[in-house]
Amino acid sequence: MKNIIQVKNISFHYPDKPLLFDNLTLDVHEGEWLAIIGQNGSGKSTLARLIDGLIVLDKGQIIVDGLTVNDQNIFDIRNKIGIVFQNPEDQFVGATVEDDVAFGLENRQVEREKMHEIVKKSLMDVSMLDFRNRIPANLSGGQKQRVAIAGIVALSPKIIILDEATSMLDPRGRNEILDLVYQIKKDNQLTVISITHDIDEAANADRVVILNEGRIIDEETPENIFQNTGQLQSVGLDSPYTSQLLAALKHRGIKPQRSYLNDEELIAWIKQLISKK
Amino acid sequence: MDKAVNFEKVTHTYQVDTPFSQNALENVSFTIQSGSFTAIIGHTGSGKSTLVQHINALLKPTDGTVSVFDRIITPKTTNKNLKQLRKKVGMVFQFPEKQLFEETVIKDIMFGPLNYGATEEEARKSAVNAMKLVGLSANFSDSSPFDLSGGQMRRVAIAGVLAMNPEILILDEPTAGLDPRGHKEIMDLARHLHDHNHMTIILVTHQMDDVVDYASNVVVMDQGKIVKVGPPKEIFSDPKWVYKMQLDLPSSALFAQKMIDTGIKLKTLPLTIDELADQIVQIAGKEGKKDE
Repeated sequence: MKNIIQVKNISFHYPDKPLLFDNLTLDVHEGEWLAIIGQNGSGKSTLARLIDGLIVLDKGQIIVDGLTVNDQNIFDIRNKIGIVFQNPEDQFVGATVEDDVAFGLENRQVEREKMHEIVKKSLMDVSMLDFRNRIPANLSGGQKQRVAIAGIVALSPKIIILDEATSMLDPRGRNEILDLVYQIKKDNQLTVISITHDIDEAANADRVVILNEGRIIDEETPENIFQNTGQLQSVGLDSPYTSQLLAALKHRGIKPQRSYLNDEELIAWIKQLISKK
Repeated sequence: MDKAVNFEKVTHTYQVDTPFSQNALENVSFTIQSGSFTAIIGHTGSGKSTLVQHINALLKPTDGTVSVFDRIITPKTTNKNLKQLRKKVGMVFQFPEKQLFEETVIKDIMFGPLNYGATEEEARKSAVNAMKLVGLSANFSDSSPFDLSGGQMRRVAIAGVLAMNPEILILDEPTAGLDPRGHKEIMDLARHLHDHNHMTIILVTHQMDDVVDYASNVVVMDQGKIVKVGPPKEIFSDPKWVYKMQLDLPSSALFAQKMIDTGIKLKTLPLTIDELADQIVQIAGKEGKKDE
């Protein structure tokens, strides 16, 4: 499998702060959905900013789609990566939804005709075409994130980074955005990195990385990560709902064989218990 | 119990007399008892934030009356003399840490009391108390609030509100963006302020698990109207209605619903993990023990 991002032995610290990353290495496979989970302050968002060249490494190297992140390549790299931030308010620049989506294209001097076409298609992709003349400030949180995603889709990146992009949304809005990104990923064969502390969001990833105090402490499929509920707790993350229910049952004297089952497996097991009675 | 808050036929119209005129609240009447823990839920745009901003007169009704203890706010109320009311009603907005601005934590927390006429000494005393309440070590007093973690910054911001000794505390999505540990700390703080300091807590939230874990009273809003008021058990008893309101069930009810869909029979819809685990033990017996 090709690695679309290679983070090689990097070190980084913020001014007047201790070393956050000390010789960190991580590969992101092309076409995967990678979830990076960890507490606030674990370094998740910093890593995303380093990959996008928004801040500069102390040591080591980051390669994005064959290009080393440095001053010369920075614009080419940013063309490959779209980041959706936590708070869409912080990223709106256009007076209307349409203007906002067009902003990145204008910066790249796309001709007017073509720009109209791309903006229209991007807004259609996120089901926001009807809102094209609205003022972004008057949209709901979920709608704002859709517009932010349209702005990214318009630039046809290869990688989308969701930096806590759903943490301000209600559960329904969160699921809608995740479904949308999933669809866009599939249609355009993108790589998605989702930075989150929502364990349910991580459950849908192909691979999960746990970051704690700047160190990768585990790198596995969601199923294997969730087996180890002790580890999740020790780094201040929740266990998936089914693990919590299993723990409550264990406490009442009913012991399961495994510490993680998904919804269907757990229900099947409960049915088995009932039929044995 | 005394009434802490009472809304009597309150309507609030944004941009009155313009073509954009829009009723954000429509003929809303309800009561919050003193010392209660009330959750206000409703999908985005249903009027929750508009509703709570009337409680400390940040917004005034276009029509109707809001009473907070013995203070009455009508459309004619002027902005004079609202200080006493605003001191009694502490409001923690979403992402309150964005409002931090002082050089040190203690100065930031003292700002409110000083603004309300406390002496330097009184303000410092209130601030020290508030820091204790939110579980911030005194060592942080002279740190810059901007050197703290997200969860700590939020606690400084909440301490700034608590330093004014409010009787009512309004929390508008207080845990948005926090990690699970930070989330639990803030919610447990709300519970502590309710149980030990007898504060009236009003929580605006999208998180149904918090509603069942912390609140005893729930107000459901839809399109600027209050559509249901009652204990969590009653509010979530009808899943179809909950979905119609574009809300979700708490995680345990959601999981129980999945069990029911596969043909498992449950007596009632459980709202918490403990309720669900108890029911499973009841129907399955302890046979599972032998299943090792």
